[in-house]
This record gives sequence, C-alpha cells and structure tokens, in this order.
Amino acid sequence: MSATKASTLEGRAPRKLPQGVKVVDVDVHAHETPTALIPYCDMPWRKCLELISKAPERYLDIPFFAPQMAVWSPPYPQSGGDRRLVVTSASQMRKDLDELGIDIGVVFPDNLLMLATLRDSDYATALACAYNRWLTDEWLAEDNGIKGAIVAPSQNPLVAAAEIRRYAAHKHVAAIYLPSCCVNPLYGHRFYDPIYEAAQETNLPVMLHSVTAIFPVFPFNLDCFSTMFSAHIVSHGLSMVANLLSLMETGVPERYPKLRIGFSESGIGWVPWMMMRMDKEYKERRRELPFLSDLPSTYVRRMFFATQPIEEPENMQQMATILSLFGGETSVMFASDWPHHDFDHPNKVLQIPVSLEIQRNILGGNASRFLNLKENA
Amino acid sequence: MPAEYVVAPVASLPEGTHRVFQVGGREIGVFNVGGHYYALPSNCLHQNGPLCQGAVSGTVEASAETGWKPTWVREGEIVICPWHAMEFDIPTGRCLAEPRRRIPTYKVTVVDSEIRISVP
Repeated sequence: MSATKASTLEGRAPRKLPQGVKVVDVDVHAHETPTALIPYCDMPWRKCLELISKAPERYLDIPFFAPQMAVWSPPYPQSGGDRRLVVTSASQMRKDLDELGIDIGVVFPDNLLMLATLRDSDYATALACAYNRWLTDEWLAEDNGIKGAIVAPSQNPLVAAAEIRRYAAHKHVAAIYLPSCCVNPLYGHRFYDPIYEAAQETNLPVMLHSVTAIFPVFPFNLDCFSTMFSAHIVSHGLSMVANLLSLMETGVPERYPKLRIGFSESGIGWVPWMMMRMDKEYKERRRELPFLSDLPSTYVRRMFFATQPIEEPENMQQMATILSLFGGETSVMFASDWPHHDFDHPNKVLQIPVSLEIQRNILGGNASRFLNLKENA
Repeated sequence: MPAEYVVAPVASLPEGTHRVFQVGGREIGVFNVGGHYYALPSNCLHQNGPLCQGAVSGTVEASAETGWKPTWVREGEIVICPWHAMEFDIPTGRCLAEPRRRIPTYKVTVVDSEIRISVP
C-alpha cells in the first residue's frame, strides 16, 4: 500500500488536456557539465574545462564556467525543491516530458544560461560552439520530440551567425538562444546585426532567456537586494524589459521584418505594461526611433512570449484579461522550464479560463508557428 | 459515511517519520509528529505536486514578539512540497504562504497497534 515513486512526476500527468493537442514546451533544460563539454571543445579551452571539471560542481554556479555568484542569501531546508533538478540525457528528458504530458520540448542549457557573463570572448565563443556540438550530437540525434536551441555567443556575433548557418538545416534545431543574463551591450545594439541577419535568412526564431546572477551591469544591480525573492524577480523580468526596449531603440523588428523574436522565463504580466509605456513615450519621442513605422505595440503584437514562470492570481480569469491586452492568445507559448526549481506544470496553463481554441494555441499552436514546426516533427 | 482504512502498523512509522500511502484511490501522507499521527492528501494547493513526498522540517517566523528577528520554530511540524517548496502545517493543513487556504486533514486512529485513516 505504500507508494514508492521513482520520480516526483509519476502519476501527475495533466488532468484535462484538450483532445488531439500536441503540447509544445518552449523551455526545458539540459545539464551540460564542464566534463560533458570537454570532448567537444577546441584547444586551448579544452584545457580550461579539464581544470574546471576537477572542482566539485555547484548547481548553476561554477567558477569560470557559470559564475552566478548568487550565494549571498542564506539557504533554507528544501528551498529550491526537494527533487532532481537536472536532466543529463535526452532519454531522461523524454521520460520526464512524457510524465508531464508534453510532446515536444525545446532544450536550452543550464550552465550556459550565464554565458554572457564571461568576459573572454574567445573562451565564451569556444564554449558556445562546444555546447552546440554536444547538443546536436547527444540530444538531437533522434526523432523523439526533443528539439534544441543552439546558443549564439553574444561576445562574438560573427561566429554566432556562422553557427546559426551551420546548424540551420539540422532537423531538430528549432531556435536560437540569446543568452540574456548580464548581456552587455543589450540586444538592440547594431553589433548583433549579424545574428539577426542569419536568423532571418535561415528562418530560425531567436529566444531571449535570462537567469539570476550577480554582475554589475544594467539591469542586474542585484547588490541592492538581500533576498533571492527580489533578485530572482528582477533578474529575469527586467532583463526582458531592458532587451525589448533595446531592440526597439534600433528598430530590430522593423529592420528584420521576418525575424521571429521570443521572450522566455519572465511570465507574461510585464508585456502589457511595457507595451503601453512604449506607446506613450513614442508619441513624444518618435524622432529618436525613426526606424519604426508604427507604434511600438504593433511590433510587440508580432513577438512571442513563454508562459513560465506563469503568474498565479487567485482568480485565473485575470490571466485571460492579461492575454487579451497584448494579443497573447496568438503569441503566448507554454513553457515548463523543467527541471528547474520554479518549473510550471501544464495544469497551471489549463486553469486559465479561455476558449478551447486559445488553449490549443497556448499549449502548442503558437509555438508551432514560432518554431516553424512541421507536422509530426 | 467515511471509509476507514488500515494503512500500516505503528511500528513502521516511528516518531519524526512520514510515509505516503495509496488509500481508496488517493495518495495520502501519514505523519508521526512527536507521537501524534496526522494524515494529509499528497496534493499541493499550488500546482498539485506530490506534497507528502516532501521533507518535514521546521520553519522561520518573525513577528513583533521576536523583535522582527527571524526565529526557527515548529521543528517537525511543517511539510515542504518537493516541487516548489510550498510549506504546509501538518496538524492543520494550513498553507503558510497563503494563510487563508488549507488542505483537508484526515482523522487518524490507532487500533490494535495499527494506524487507521478515515477518508470521507
């Protein structure tokens, strides 16, 4: 009678998925250790990985590799979840996604969420290239619903563009990941134009994704806070806000009209706020953004937004209202962030009281358009 | 009429331990807190995580009475969901983060050295 479970997901499948819907999850995480990347990394950086891999690994906080440095607030028992927080193989991911009721998952890295904090451009670029080789070799080799986002090293847009063109034809490469944690300059800078050119040319979407780290660049002034409560809210949400504003400043969505831009891991509540603020400001300051041919909100309505970490008002009707404020019915995509501490189960998205059609869009339809997924991919 | 289920001998649930049982089609956590038995559904209010598979702990509180100093309290009385670390008071089922909400509690009795749960 005692229930012994292999995983905390067992028996927790979604309760009421709409019939026939293929659930697409635009944000799941593979655990790329320094050791795993060694055979994929060019010299001399392979030597560095060999040294780094000798130190005991801390979760998402590895000196010289993933320098989060967010260890200034004290931990409490089980804070961060009392379960496995990493997925180390594609087969493990497939099993987990099956238990979550997810058909297709798009893999992002764990440690390379902090790639943009690395200051040595050659080193960061080598890590990105090693990750892309590892990802395509070890995670995207089978037709099992596991898709991947290749990482574009922000430190070196020319190599990033070459990587995009190299992997664009890969059957299971579905997106380009733009490391957004502590990125400097922000993603609207013309320095990054080669990335957007390659993305538009190859028809791969870009996905901005941040994480919490202590680093003295805007908007990551996390030294102002004493708790992860505050730091975590600011680091994800304001990173997306700052980068969206930056993209508008140089007219990226106007200059690359076919580029699909997605924002991950910040929920959706910030989108109407930003949209309305930008429109208000633009009416006075249009001359600063002469690249745009319409109100900023027009461009926001063409962008895509991942749900996780989904807002959880007591009255979930409010979520339907938020969606309606920015056309989220056709642009919001389910994301679980599995297996991270704040992952969302599909059940939470199913609690938003919207029509069956909108539910289908959010669970998979919008992501299929964003990722340009073919049927039965 | 609530149905009564025999779940385990008392010897299998020493003080300070808890286990999850399949009872009448539900997952129910049974806790031995200082010799008192409590039973809660293993379903978190938050995202329906397997609450009772989580760890039992104390927790941190601060109030005017403690001079707003964080204080460690109620060791062994709090269960923490393994999915997202939401805390629940084992004796009452009260959710610490949302004090207006609680999960049900089930009546536990011991008859002939066996733990029984009444499930409505």
